[in-house]
Amino acid sequence: MQTLKLLTAAGLIGLAAMGSGAIAQETMQIGVQVPTTGSEATYGQDMINAVQIAVDEINAEGGLLGQQVSLVTGDTACDPQQSVNAASRLVSANVVGVVGGYCSGATLPTLQIYGDANIPFIIAAANSTQLIPENPGNAFMINSTGADQAAKAVEFLSAQGAATLTIVNQGDAYSQDLATLASEDWTAAGNEVVSIETVNKGEQDYSAIVTKIRSTNPDAVFWTAYYADGGLLIRQLRQSGYQGIIAVGDGSNSPQLFDIAGQAAEGVFAFSNPTADFLPQAASFTETYQEDYGNAPGPYAPLAYDGMKLLGWAIAEAGSTDADAIIEVLRSADGQEWLAGPISFTDVNTLARSNFIVLKGEGGAWTRADE
Amino acid sequence: MTAFDVVMQQIVNGLVLGSFYALVALGYTMIFGVIKLLNFAHGDLYMVGGFVGFLVLSAISGITGGGWTGVAISMFLSMIAVGCLGVVIERVAYHPMLRAPRLSILITALAVSLVLQNTVLSITHGQYTAFGADFGFGGVNLGNVFITYNQMILVGIAAFLMIGLEVFVSRTQYGRAMRAVAIDKDMCQLMGINVSGVIAVTFLIGSALAAAAGTLAGAYYGSVWYFMGFLIGLKAFTAAVIGGIGSIPGAMLGGLILGFLEAFGTQLPGIGSEWKDVFSFAVLILVLVFKPTGLLGKSEQERM
Repeated sequence: MQTLKLLTAAGLIGLAAMGSGAIAQETMQIGVQVPTTGSEATYGQDMINAVQIAVDEINAEGGLLGQQVSLVTGDTACDPQQSVNAASRLVSANVVGVVGGYCSGATLPTLQIYGDANIPFIIAAANSTQLIPENPGNAFMINSTGADQAAKAVEFLSAQGAATLTIVNQGDAYSQDLATLASEDWTAAGNEVVSIETVNKGEQDYSAIVTKIRSTNPDAVFWTAYYADGGLLIRQLRQSGYQGIIAVGDGSNSPQLFDIAGQAAEGVFAFSNPTADFLPQAASFTETYQEDYGNAPGPYAPLAYDGMKLLGWAIAEAGSTDADAIIEVLRSADGQEWLAGPISFTDVNTLARSNFIVLKGEGGAWTRADE
Repeated sequence: MTAFDVVMQQIVNGLVLGSFYALVALGYTMIFGVIKLLNFAHGDLYMVGGFVGFLVLSAISGITGGGWTGVAISMFLSMIAVGCLGVVIERVAYHPMLRAPRLSILITALAVSLVLQNTVLSITHGQYTAFGADFGFGGVNLGNVFITYNQMILVGIAAFLMIGLEVFVSRTQYGRAMRAVAIDKDMCQLMGINVSGVIAVTFLIGSALAAAAGTLAGAYYGSVWYFMGFLIGLKAFTAAVIGGIGSIPGAMLGGLILGFLEAFGTQLPGIGSEWKDVFSFAVLILVLVFKPTGLLGKSEQERM
């Protein structure tokens, strides 16, 4: 179906090109850097879809600087090595700017590449605080950082009456960062961290760690990594009879968590960046997305859409494709309302407010838990 | 949970994990025994086995339900399908290389592994697929030690397959031929043994065992994906080496030892769980240093 649509679209573009005849129609290339394969491919495809909607809207309004916008995809597979290749590919495709960045670990090594090439980079999802010191100044993070999430997690879990906490991460930039921050905040709040556990990505059997958790029986378990392995852990925790609170970070707030963990995902709390379901102003975006792709927008769709729109705005304001001018405009963003809320940046190019909400698994879907 | 409960529970965990390692390690060790090839595609046959099991279960769960009957049937069919795939791989990729230097065939095995992984990757787009088995969480509670029925059935099936294999290898004509080929291929040929037939049967059985483990893992853990064979392939290889590569009882022993090492490695006081693999692989190095043939392996005399 999607292929058919693409073909139709390609055909139409072809016709349009023939129609315009002599007018040289140059397109402006924008890079999208996300994982389209591997365990996080769902998120990546979702982000591409959302960026495409933004591009369609921009093109319908006449494009940018008189040029139509087209996308070039770089697949990071959520792997630091592959993301370097993807970034180099986008650089050699002469993109004007890049939107995306999902896995922090895979985004980290690309910062330098875009920095050296002086290409504006809107990081739509990745939010490890480790990205901040590595940012050469051309990257802008429009998702709240791990520090904001850790603060939210500690505040919420304390309010739920938990005093002891076990944190499980996967040893990658994103989940380890969140684990460390949450652990510091949790101790600072006067609570006890029972242990911080690290598991291998791609491991299927968590029984040993589950037994360890059950033997110390903390009030809450906080999984800071991604949904695919998180689903397995949650399932095995509940199977073993663990009855405490289970909370997961924003890398696990996917609907797929319910496929993998099944019944065990009921009652699990997730910290989440603003998703389309919980943004009243996103109703028409959700409708367009549903129409174009046949399913509901995923968790990072609004941010990816905003990232593209923000970049488009900056290019239009700058009046040229000159990177320095675009970056200057992005720095001056002063809290205009976008789909996921207002955007303005701190001195280190991070979002100047916390955008986290709390969700709860109920009946095989996420519902809002903090309102 | 008291310290005793924790130890008991970790023994149960180690037994379940060790059963998976042992089933996969058996194929590694059998194939190495017969053609001296480290079949790096073996972990991927485990993965393909998981997917075939999933497909069969989706097709039949309307009739059988997602319980153990359905899983047993899908396991059986997956074993046949992947066993045949193993034979095809041997015929197409390895057989022409049998007389080539060892390194060439090893590289071929890596290529086969990549082909299998990437084929499944492009079909599934790298997505996790929920397996769809439906067992419930029931089990037996011995004090604080909890053993689910699934774990019992799983270990039971693994034990049954391993005993079956042992009987096959030690009591049947084919088994005897297999052992003979492992000792001296050329001599077997002279004695009128159908060597390529024996090699085919070895691949059939080895791949079928990997498929059984893959289907059971999918059903037990709840999902399958294209990369699930990588880590277990590595671990099963480790298990085979610990037990003595080429030795069938060695693979079973090695699998169980590795399962226990991982379970208890997580529990080591004062050491975080991130050290558990360091612990397992350190034991591998120790075995290689002090008993290079593995625990149950026989030292092979260099023939002139």
